[in-house]
Amino acid sequence: MAAAGCTGCRSIKKRMAETKYDVLIIGSGASGGMAAYALTKKGVKCLMLDAGPPIDFERQRVNKSAHELPFRGFGKPGKLSHVFQATEFNANQWVDETQVPYTHDPKEPYNWVRVRMIGGKSLFWARMSFRLSDYEFRAKDHDGYGDNWPISYSDLAPYYDQVEPIFRVRGRRDGLMQLPDGVFIEDTSGESECNKRFIAAARERGIPNTKMRTSMGRGQFASSFNLLLPDALATGNLTIVPNAVVREITVDKNTGLANGVNFLDRQSHREMHATARVVVVGASCLESTRLLLNSGIANSSGVLGHYLHDQFYITQSVQAVVPEARDGKSPNGFSGGFIGGGGYMPRFRNLKTKEKNFLRGYALDWSTGGSPDAKYFPLYGEALQKAVESCRGAGFSCTVMGEVLPRADSQVRVNKTVTDAWGIPVLHIQTHYTSNEFNMAKDAIATLEELCHTCGWEVLGRHDQMFPPGYSIHELGTCRMGDSPKTSVLNKWNQSWDIKNLFVVDGSSFVTGGSQNPTMTILSLSMRASDYLAEQMRKGEI
Amino acid sequence: MKRRRFIQALAATPAAPALLAQQVQPSQQAPPAPPPAEASLRYSLPDAAAEPVLHFFTAQQFAALRKLSDLLMPPVNGAPGALEAKAPEFLDFLLSQSPADRQQLYRSGLDGLNAQARKRFNKLFADVDAGQTDTLLAPLRDPWSYDAPADPVAAFLRAVKDDVRRATTNSREWNLAASAGRTRDGGGGLYWLPID
Repeated sequence: MAAAGCTGCRSIKKRMAETKYDVLIIGSGASGGMAAYALTKKGVKCLMLDAGPPIDFERQRVNKSAHELPFRGFGKPGKLSHVFQATEFNANQWVDETQVPYTHDPKEPYNWVRVRMIGGKSLFWARMSFRLSDYEFRAKDHDGYGDNWPISYSDLAPYYDQVEPIFRVRGRRDGLMQLPDGVFIEDTSGESECNKRFIAAARERGIPNTKMRTSMGRGQFASSFNLLLPDALATGNLTIVPNAVVREITVDKNTGLANGVNFLDRQSHREMHATARVVVVGASCLESTRLLLNSGIANSSGVLGHYLHDQFYITQSVQAVVPEARDGKSPNGFSGGFIGGGGYMPRFRNLKTKEKNFLRGYALDWSTGGSPDAKYFPLYGEALQKAVESCRGAGFSCTVMGEVLPRADSQVRVNKTVTDAWGIPVLHIQTHYTSNEFNMAKDAIATLEELCHTCGWEVLGRHDQMFPPGYSIHELGTCRMGDSPKTSVLNKWNQSWDIKNLFVVDGSSFVTGGSQNPTMTILSLSMRASDYLAEQMRKGEI
Repeated sequence: MKRRRFIQALAATPAAPALLAQQVQPSQQAPPAPPPAEASLRYSLPDAAAEPVLHFFTAQQFAALRKLSDLLMPPVNGAPGALEAKAPEFLDFLLSQSPADRQQLYRSGLDGLNAQARKRFNKLFADVDAGQTDTLLAPLRDPWSYDAPADPVAAFLRAVKDDVRRATTNSREWNLAASAGRTRDGGGGLYWLPID
């Protein structure tokens, strides 16, 4: 690599002058992919590094029956004990905790669910595609808790408008203040009779309902992998290097600016240094913060690592059976049939009224027409078999997704006593849910049970036990935006207050998360930050 | 090796004439068709060809587990039951690989069932009759709750009810029955191969 006459000790200044790349992007998932998409279209030369390999999905996956697997579909006991989404079928798609461990107090479990592949978690997300509203962006103005974002809904709306057509979001416009409408492929499907009954019961209690808002994508994916990176590559302005495990962001001691990264090849562990004029971090919420902490940068505020939050999830919160649909007596059909389909009830608490024992609110993702699991029936043997068969396709189920309050003491830090397979110090995660979340969960379950009873449905099981933090894979905060360098890591453009050529564009920048799935907001923030960055570079400001 | 020496060396070997003939006298016949690039071999799973060797449970525990498995998941309408699916044998393997708390749940649960059978009916669980098993399995008629029962036998019964069902419906025998139209499909899907 060294030019003739070079002794290997050229000044950083000289190397910077020779760098081939304008922007170095860390991570190829939703946020990194969107940064590449937006920047390369404006002529910015980008180098993207990702810790994972490229995947050939046709060769990497094979159809199998459960009995063909080593553990008959149960999975290897003890493997991926924090990844409740893991099955024996998909176990190899998740990050191996023994390779990239993290630590936590045993009394405060955290489910850190990670993917290291080109495309990141956008390969596997549930595709639920929502906008945040000013109930989140101006949350402090509304209820006095925490902090506002440094931006309002109107600042991000033009970017949601651009992101939704790329991901082909299907939804229905309902004019809900707490769940702004978007640029949708209009969902004109009808409702089954059961769903009409449930929606009417909710409406009587002031609970709105809309169709699920879903990224349709193209082909089998709605991912950075197929919707963003191909277009970015087509510009000729993007270079992607897979299997690059970034260890630290390097900073020029003279200028205080980021000048590149040191990374290790995933397989050989060979260390390399890459340079660029600007560094954009989109490695996923906690990996981005881990990288900044390990690099010892961007933390003059002392806030880096704090205000970790997500959404708590209660799956199968209320499981019920629709009596008229037992024994296959009523046809299943989303539109015009008796049972089937589902909906989404966005936050309805603490909007115009004030609850006694919790702030903020929760959303409900519900469906009819499923089959209740055998565990709900107080039977065994042939009687159980008959009951399961009788209720096949006659079920109601709902997942509760609740807002978690960002708290300063909900935090991550580097644990230097433990390192990953590449010798990089791991994260120690310290967080737990509190009475605000628990009280919200109780309210959700009581509300759902009441709705089921109103509909005349038989409740088989109910519970308000949420999964440990992290389960939703919606980890947010720890590198938050703000109006002041004293209380935040990033300014309103996702730009480090401390290092002006450093941007962090993923979920770590969130101030609050609401109860909505965050991917559309992450994509929109990344696009907005990238537009700003490109303009600043054009002006010579960066 | 130069060509001349190579031919001399070949001439010194018994097979040399044939080899030389191949080299210097091309056949006038069309060469035989090459074998397929990827030979299609068929393999069997070990369950189709052999019996599992048991490691984990004691003889009394395993006898209780077999009896319990048959009660929990009997053959119904042509679908195989737990015994035909070798669910108890599979669970012996699975538990041998499981964390200590899960192993303890099973061992104490099966021992507890045997102790209750002995106390109430003066025999082991494997030997009780239908009416007696109904008494011993009463906790399975309690309504579902999220938290596991405090009683270790009741907690075990709840766990084994799920495990026996899953070990049966995910078995080779269940899969064959589904292929023959005698039951619904068992589990299946896209399996991720290990990433290099």
